[in-house]
Amino acid sequence: MTRYIFRRVMSAIPLLFGLLTFTFFIIRLAPGDPVSLYVQGDVDPAFAQNLRNSLGLNDPLPVQYVKWVKSMLLGEMGVSFSRNAAVTKILADTIPNTLLLTVFALLFNFLIGIALGITTALKRGTCTDHLVNITSLFVYSMPEFWLGLMLILGISLQLDLLPASGMHSPLAKYLSTPRYLWDVFQHMILPVFVLGVASAAATGRYMRGSLLEVINQDYVRTARAKGLSEFLVIGKHALRNALIPIITLLGLSLPFLLGGAVIVETVFAWPGMGKLTVDAIFARDYPLIIGCTLVSGVMVILGNLLADILYAIVDPRIRYE
Amino acid sequence: MSPRLLFIAVLCCGLFVSCGKKSGEKDPMNETAVVALSGDADTFNPIVSGSATSGDIQGNIYPMMFDVSFDPRDGSLQYDPGLVVRWESANDGLDMILHLRTDVRWEDGILITPEDIKFSFSLYGDPEVASPRRNYVESMIFTDGKFDPNRSIEIIDDSTMVFHFAKRYPLQLFHLNLHPIPKHIYRNADRKTLRANPANEHPVGAGPFKLDEWVHQQQIDLVRNPTCTLPYPAKLDRVIFRIISEPTTRLTELKKGTVDVMSPVYPDDVKDIQENNPNIRLETLPPRSYEYIGWMNIDIEEYHNSGKKNIKPHPLFGDARVRQALTYAINRKGIMEHELGTYGELAVTDFSPIFRWAIKHDLIPYPHDQEKSRQLLRSAGWSDTNGDGILDKGGRDFEFTLYYNIGNKRREYVATVVQKELKDVGIKVNLQSVEPTVLFQNIEEKRYDAFIGGFRVKLAIDPSDRWGDVSNPFNTVGFQNRRIGELLKLGLHVPNERDAGPFWKEVQSIIHQEQPCTFLYWNKDIVGVNRRLKNTNINVLGVSDDMWDWQIGDPNSYMTY
Repeated sequence: MTRYIFRRVMSAIPLLFGLLTFTFFIIRLAPGDPVSLYVQGDVDPAFAQNLRNSLGLNDPLPVQYVKWVKSMLLGEMGVSFSRNAAVTKILADTIPNTLLLTVFALLFNFLIGIALGITTALKRGTCTDHLVNITSLFVYSMPEFWLGLMLILGISLQLDLLPASGMHSPLAKYLSTPRYLWDVFQHMILPVFVLGVASAAATGRYMRGSLLEVINQDYVRTARAKGLSEFLVIGKHALRNALIPIITLLGLSLPFLLGGAVIVETVFAWPGMGKLTVDAIFARDYPLIIGCTLVSGVMVILGNLLADILYAIVDPRIRYE
Repeated sequence: MSPRLLFIAVLCCGLFVSCGKKSGEKDPMNETAVVALSGDADTFNPIVSGSATSGDIQGNIYPMMFDVSFDPRDGSLQYDPGLVVRWESANDGLDMILHLRTDVRWEDGILITPEDIKFSFSLYGDPEVASPRRNYVESMIFTDGKFDPNRSIEIIDDSTMVFHFAKRYPLQLFHLNLHPIPKHIYRNADRKTLRANPANEHPVGAGPFKLDEWVHQQQIDLVRNPTCTLPYPAKLDRVIFRIISEPTTRLTELKKGTVDVMSPVYPDDVKDIQENNPNIRLETLPPRSYEYIGWMNIDIEEYHNSGKKNIKPHPLFGDARVRQALTYAINRKGIMEHELGTYGELAVTDFSPIFRWAIKHDLIPYPHDQEKSRQLLRSAGWSDTNGDGILDKGGRDFEFTLYYNIGNKRREYVATVVQKELKDVGIKVNLQSVEPTVLFQNIEEKRYDAFIGGFRVKLAIDPSDRWGDVSNPFNTVGFQNRRIGELLKLGLHVPNERDAGPFWKEVQSIIHQEQPCTFLYWNKDIVGVNRRLKNTNINVLGVSDDMWDWQIGDPNSYMTY
């Protein structure tokens, strides 16, 4: 297994380099000028040209590429055009914000989704099943943007129960640790809910289908015939197999952990990777786009690897040696 | 721990935490104002900063050469002493002698000297630094085509310096009013990478506030700088700028009272705020930006390929009668009232109405008159010879594509109205929305026949950018007019700004007559302010002008946070 993981990690390096090279050229070939956004009526007319020179954008493309490869080999990702800071620093500042949001959203998604799936599978055909299914479809089809704004207007503005936006209150840094944590927790509730609820509805549907398939298998009938309690039959025998497709889902969801969620981040003023990436693309901030692509690429590769490893853990028939 | 126990534990913890505030504890929010912004600052180095947020905030961090105010009665800038206590023009207007204060210190205790100012101007003028304000030194002394700080700036003693100019012109004080930065901090900074210098994250200024913390894309905390004497120490302990890009969320925070100042409030939200939020007062900023429809005046192909000085006119829009006809055909007033209500002003030319002294008041805006439009198009040779409903001339249909930026609802509406109204006079308009970076690049490079654009004017009149050389990126429609060239030279070489009035009025007459583009309307931005915040002076200089004077009025109007 260790050798397998090592081989997979090694093979990821040329893959990532290829991805970044492709991104390097594709963003430069796309129309649009990184400096055009800063050229307004009250600035120096020669500003754009000077800035292009200063940022090295007037160099021929092969020269820019060689410079970029050199800096990447030295572990430098350059300086963001739009934020005037090192890309590594921007990523280091943004990734924790994103993780705080996405880890909890993912937990919410899988815990609630799995619980809903089990409940509806076990109560198949009952009112509860129908109600949950209809609600899930309703929630799943709701646009995040709309749901977020409705919650802000309802829960935050009208009922004044939770803060509307941001990661914490403006003066949170002066609060004691427990109050600070409580403050952050309050700020997380709405974005985590919006981010997790639609996926939880989808996960619930997967879980329901998977569990229904498993509980009709012979070995589950055998377990019941042996006189095991329903809790053990479902919890120990059926659930383990039913979780395999969910693990695939989990693996595929990992890139989302660092990819962020641009809509929720925008609505709730949560400075995460999603908004960072989209802003970088619209601003044609080449170094930052490459940095964000690297993070997403690494997460996709790691997510797939993790899913493969988890398969082996859940299903003893799978071996990678 | 069972889930039920865990839930109870979290609930108890929450109750404990939320009840933990002592009753006698002073609420720090009573000495704090919160401002909501749509975008973050790009840097706090005034030499290279370009974003509006940076401009607004750094004015409160860095010292000012002059304390500038804008007199709305006549529309001109007033200069009062700042770092410069007294100034005099000499050598027939070619020298400006500045007498400086000698008792002003940077936050770190080091005295501000003329060396700091000279060093800062050398950075502003260096093309390697790529300052957006490099053109402020353009009329000083150049050697071999490069700004020469040694010949331009002479330090007489600790309190006196002389700026030498290559010409006499009315904007000298305006161009001298740049923020200096501390030389002792940036002395060895690499000029090419100045915009990414780590020192920019921790600016050392001398203004009423100092930067306490900058959490990128979240908030910027300014605290009172107790040592400030320029112009006065701040009255508030702290001002926090929060970055909230989504307008509905920003407005919600203002309504909740968790934000004190928010800009811009959209005209559509005004009625609701006025009816339901008595704690918010709305203020209007005088107009500094306008929207227009650009018609390319010159032949694009010849402009890009020939390198000539005088380019032949555009086949569709090269004739002034056609451009006038287009303005007549479009119901600009209707568009403005639909989009801005009373928060707009019909644009006659690109001279902002704020410059009262320079405005030619007798110019009458083109009315919406489609018959007049048809008449003008006929006189320019355009008629529907083949009966297909589209005007044609010399075998060419009057058909073009109008470009605008995607996602801008206001411009989408303008484009739709323009398409419909020009169809009524026999012109076929195809609409094309484009991503902003692409649109702006192509506008600056003069690649579009027609587009919807916007422009923000400086606080001093200088039409040379907009209507000067055809190659200037801000002359987005390639307008060329010999008389305007002469008037620009005359107006920008008078000793006093007011002396240029007659020249600027003639420029407006020509622009009005020639219609290089169809000017739509001036925007008056609306600012929402919580009534607990007192002494705000929201004016054309920005939302945070005179921020040192802000105070929290009602100590009982606690913000919920």
